[in-house]
Amino acid sequence: MTTITTSAFYERSSRALNELRSRAESLQGSIGTGQRLTRGSDDPVGASQLRSLSRESRFSEISAVAGARVSSDLALTDSGLSDFAAYVTRVKELAVHAGTDTLTPAQRAGIGVEIKEIYSELIRLANSRDSAGDALFGGEAAGDAYTLDAAGLPVYAGTAQAGELALGEGQSVIRGVTGPEFLNFNGANGPTNLFTLVRELGDALQGNVADPAQAARDALGDLDTGLETITTAQTVVGSRMNWIDLIDDRRTQRSEQRTEMQADVGGADLATTVTALQEIMTVLEASQAAFTRLAGLSLFAMLR
Amino acid sequence: MASSLFSIGLSGLRASRAALDLTAQNISNAGTEGYVRRSLNVSEVASVGSWLVPGDLTLSGVRIDGVARNADLFRQAEVRRTAADYGRATEELAGFENIEAALEQSGVYPAMTAFEASLQRLETNPIDPALRAGALEDARAVARNFNLASSTLDTARDSLNFTAQAGADQINTYATELARVNLQLTRAKAGSSDQTSLLDRRDSLLEQISAQVGIHTAIGADQSVSVRLGDSTGPLLVSAGTTQAFAMTTAADGTIGFTLGGTAVSVTSGSLAGKAQALIAVRDRKTELDGIADTLIATANAAQANGVALDGTAGQPLFAGAGAAGITLSLTSGAGWATAPAGAPAGSRDTSNLTALRNALDGAKVTDQLDGLLFSASSATAARRTTAEALDSIASSARLALAEQAGVSLDDEAANLVRFQQAFQASGKVIQVAGDLFDTLLAIR
Repeated sequence: MTTITTSAFYERSSRALNELRSRAESLQGSIGTGQRLTRGSDDPVGASQLRSLSRESRFSEISAVAGARVSSDLALTDSGLSDFAAYVTRVKELAVHAGTDTLTPAQRAGIGVEIKEIYSELIRLANSRDSAGDALFGGEAAGDAYTLDAAGLPVYAGTAQAGELALGEGQSVIRGVTGPEFLNFNGANGPTNLFTLVRELGDALQGNVADPAQAARDALGDLDTGLETITTAQTVVGSRMNWIDLIDDRRTQRSEQRTEMQADVGGADLATTVTALQEIMTVLEASQAAFTRLAGLSLFAMLR
Repeated sequence: MASSLFSIGLSGLRASRAALDLTAQNISNAGTEGYVRRSLNVSEVASVGSWLVPGDLTLSGVRIDGVARNADLFRQAEVRRTAADYGRATEELAGFENIEAALEQSGVYPAMTAFEASLQRLETNPIDPALRAGALEDARAVARNFNLASSTLDTARDSLNFTAQAGADQINTYATELARVNLQLTRAKAGSSDQTSLLDRRDSLLEQISAQVGIHTAIGADQSVSVRLGDSTGPLLVSAGTTQAFAMTTAADGTIGFTLGGTAVSVTSGSLAGKAQALIAVRDRKTELDGIADTLIATANAAQANGVALDGTAGQPLFAGAGAAGITLSLTSGAGWATAPAGAPAGSRDTSNLTALRNALDGAKVTDQLDGLLFSASSATAARRTTAEALDSIASSARLALAEQAGVSLDDEAANLVRFQQAFQASGKVIQVAGDLFDTLLAIR
């Protein structure tokens, strides 16, 4: 015969009620925080996954900022290159104009003055700044990309290469173009650069050479090559911007996936949790009611 | 003739009165921890006639043999054994939970991620003083969080040590008390209510000792108990009236060991065993954390040394000190980040050395190691929680089994109260009848 002793009855009841109570409370905690895991040991693997997901998110945010920065720097580069191309086109027009034999030397000298003006504009343009205030065409150097030497001629002061910037997802992009990359080219008489070409043309038209009109006609070929170099550089910049857009899209997709995974691994599904809570509450109420009725059942109460 | 009726009635009265007393005692102790239900052993007093008058039967009523204590020795031993196992598991679990909390809540992992992220941000513009200062502060946070994790682990270790010392002291107190109870038991009369309350005391002391450390007990003919640590081959803690001194020793690395009478003993169950195991885990986790901190210090400093700071001077170490407790930030200003490679001019925007630092941190797997540390701490906790839950239900069912056998049922006692009251009234009636009989005899004239 098993007797139900008083202490055993109370201990069993309190254990059962306590367990229901603590389960209800943990469910309530899940609803309150929206998180299924309150500490790592609730699900060690899930917690580790959540850690690496939040780490990735953190890096992804920074990559997004970096991508936006490179994008805006490349846009600045692009518009700078357009300006260069516009000036070169203008110089070409002027050179064609100056190449006609009908002009007087004074008129040619006037054109030469305009070309010299464009020359100094080109130097200023080459020293444009990027979004952070550093040289746009100077690679990784701080300060101006071109400095003037003793003779007043521009000398490249930057680094040979523009730096690379990580965009996340294991990808990186070169953040700009350096001056020599689009200003230096191989002319008819060997390597030259746009500054020398324009300056010499301006000087020639102002009467530095015996036949300025011929010099203007000769310069046309090199100006074409210079313009081509600039447009090539623009194409490169354009494709880099496309690349950044592509990486941005990928990053957005990845971040959606990440959020979904975070919700899957660590999030508490509200419908399931509330249902489970309701179930436990029902059982808890029933157990409490049963306990009260049973505890009131004492033989002492019956004996009068 | 009537006189024997009187004495039979009187013995009945006495027996029912004693039974009523015991019932009242049972009722009032229904909620007392360690109380075992008592019942009265009675036997009939009768003798066959002497050789002079064979066939004659002399009836002399009822005799109280003693008070029976309805404790099942096996169930009691089971309660002690399972409680010791459960005590070990819960203490170990508590220790592991503390370790887990120390590592998770000190935020070493998020700080390390933030540090790496701010290094990545610094790459976008390595000469920006704000980004440099931000990265430096994040590096400081990493160092501080390592310090915090280490000191929290130290606190956990100290509190485990402290409570273990208290537990070891308690064992000595209980053992001394048990030896005294043993001596009293040898003098107590079997079946007396004095002996039963001593037995209650003995069993509750045994339970208290076994909560701290697993024991094996042997009960002698005089109800005195000898206690061995561990199993039946373990060393004697209490034997009759003598005890051996139980003591705790603390090693330099914070782990603990135990001695009995000066000889080292191994303790495999009870909460002291759990604490000893938790302390070993604390030590191991601390060693791991120190190793990760050292890797971080070495990797970051080596990368710094390969580059130049903003002003073009050689890179200075980022961290100083050693271990998780000792790591401090050594670089004093954001300008000190050696983002550019050696040979670069002042103010260079070249980030190749910064990239090298990030790659070195990646290659040294500092973050991965931290994740691994957190993972092993939390999975060890999860495994121990499962064990503790299983042992909890085993221990509680053993306790319930004992309570059902040895505990007081108020319903039974209520029925007994009525039964013994009626017996008392009936015995009173017997005396009244004897009196009436006597009166009848006297009235014959």
